[in-house]
Amino acid sequence: MDEVLVIENLTVVYTKNGKRIKAVDRVDLKVNQGDMIGIVGESGSGKSTLAHAVMGLLPSNGFIAEGKIRLLGYEITRLNDDEMRKIRWKEFSMVFQKSMNALSPVHKIGEQMKEAVIVHEPEIGETEVESRMKKVLDMVNLPHRVLKSYPHELSGGMMQRVMIALALINNPKFVIFDEATTALDVVTQGQILDEIKNLVERLSLTGMVITHDIGVVAEICNKIAVMYAGRIVEEGPKEKILYDPLHPYTKALISSHPELAEGGGRMRGIPGNLPDLSKEIKGCVFAERCPHAEKICFDDRPGFVKISGRKVACFKIKEVEE
Amino acid sequence: MSLVKVEKLRKYFPLSKFRRGRFVKAVDGVDLNVEKGEILGILGESGCGKSTLGLVMSRLELETSGRILFDGKDLSGTLRLNTETRRRIQIIFQNPYDSFDPRLSVKTSLLTPLKIHKIGKNDEERLKIVAEYMEKAGLIPYDDFLRRYPHELSGGQLQRISVLRAMMLKPDFLVADECVSMLDVSVRAEVINLLLDLVESNSTATMFITHDISLGKYVSNRMAVMYLGKIVEIGKTEDIMNNPLHPYTRILMSYSPSLFKRIERIPVEGEVGSVVGERKGCYFAGRCPFSTKACFEIQPSLVEVEDGHHVACLEVEKQL
Repeated sequence: MDEVLVIENLTVVYTKNGKRIKAVDRVDLKVNQGDMIGIVGESGSGKSTLAHAVMGLLPSNGFIAEGKIRLLGYEITRLNDDEMRKIRWKEFSMVFQKSMNALSPVHKIGEQMKEAVIVHEPEIGETEVESRMKKVLDMVNLPHRVLKSYPHELSGGMMQRVMIALALINNPKFVIFDEATTALDVVTQGQILDEIKNLVERLSLTGMVITHDIGVVAEICNKIAVMYAGRIVEEGPKEKILYDPLHPYTKALISSHPELAEGGGRMRGIPGNLPDLSKEIKGCVFAERCPHAEKICFDDRPGFVKISGRKVACFKIKEVEE
Repeated sequence: MSLVKVEKLRKYFPLSKFRRGRFVKAVDGVDLNVEKGEILGILGESGCGKSTLGLVMSRLELETSGRILFDGKDLSGTLRLNTETRRRIQIIFQNPYDSFDPRLSVKTSLLTPLKIHKIGKNDEERLKIVAEYMEKAGLIPYDDFLRRYPHELSGGQLQRISVLRAMMLKPDFLVADECVSMLDVSVRAEVINLLLDLVESNSTATMFITHDISLGKYVSNRMAVMYLGKIVEIGKTEDIMNNPLHPYTRILMSYSPSLFKRIERIPVEGEVGSVVGERKGCYFAGRCPFSTKACFEIQPSLVEVEDGHHVACLEVEKQL
């Protein structure tokens, strides 16, 4: 089983005030064993929705309108809530952004971790649970005393480490990190990224990193998929996307990073706004803001083209490349 | 003479209502000056006191002790300033949705400050000024934007308007507190470039508060690094970036995520805490991988190591 996650033609729709908003629009994606893929996008790009759809955790006003998700051999889209509950957190898990909201404020960390184990393995012995909890805490460099602490007694960095430990406690085969280090300070973020990188190598984890920060992806992923307005516009190996971006959006995104404005040059942004996702977009989602756009870009949806080692959804790619 | 000069500035917050004797030292003895037309970056992690420093210097918070001189005048000890001084000192906050009145249209929010400061003879003239600035910010057609309310604008658009709101008054001193940190990267550039254009053309002295090293580097001429209420290093941006000397600055830079560079990380333990009560020695000593016994005893003060580059570290001082 080489392909751990296969997403085919996935469309996720939210209904809000009678409007249908297409947050994810016919997305195809494959994640192979041992890959850590970074899903990069700005707010409203649908990156978190994609992750929540994979976990079967869409909010009540969101649903999968079309498409398939196969994760570790399970057809996620066909499973009901009970079946999902049995495999979620055991086979695959997720590290959420706001650890403060994801942990229960009235239970000790130890109780919360223990429960995550017992739910999936009711017969497990007390000592076995204990040793497993200690093992995952060691993995994330936390002292064992945090088991006796409440979340509010821990710092932001420690809580985020608890979240990672909690996600790893049942030895999942697939882990999603959803903006796992976004709210943290520079030094703590760097430390946790290093830890994640080590864990990924040591446990040969397969997974997904959802982030708006290309710098984070540069640190821990080997592949990158760039999302814009619900669609993946470019996907490939990290080096290709970072150092030789081809899609006009990826290019613009990377060149709006202040690091690139060295030597007195001005930082370049992307003029314009995200398109209205409640309306059907016939052509390319980026056409309105794209400097290369022509008539065809507004009329037809571009498919993926394989070009210099990655996949790009752009009609004008030949011209853009030059 | 510096436009803004701050001497031994301190701002302590009481730990709780019931224990009045104990304080968190948010700003703990800062000496600083900002020159006309320069952009000074204030760099630091959350809890280092950079925002408090901004609030005190823009006269929105009263200092606990110390002196603030603005254009030669002593502003310390009071928040009651005359209207003209208020006009000359402006601030831009992090979240534009929190810094606009949600019940006022953009038009009202922009016209009111002009009216208060008696800029333009009548509303018609003031509207002309607003329109001119709106066009500079690329908010076209301007009357369409003026009609709207804050929630009807995107974060980037509203933040550009808050830049205008401050800069329309042609302030001499501007504090920009994490003014793009909640925006997406692709819209950041527009806000930053607008800010830079307006600040440069008006030669406004600017304090640019940020936690993002690469952004601070892009924006500022000089940079100050703060840790637990103190400035640990200050100097020209290129000196700080090319030759960081304080261990904390070096650690901060080694952990900053980068697209291209891989800097060897300097191991560090613990997280930024806060200083409550009296503490001897260097505040960073406990986490510093290079600290010696003396660091826990003697508090270092800023020492000039090269032209305009000051560092507060005993170990650096020793090597001079």
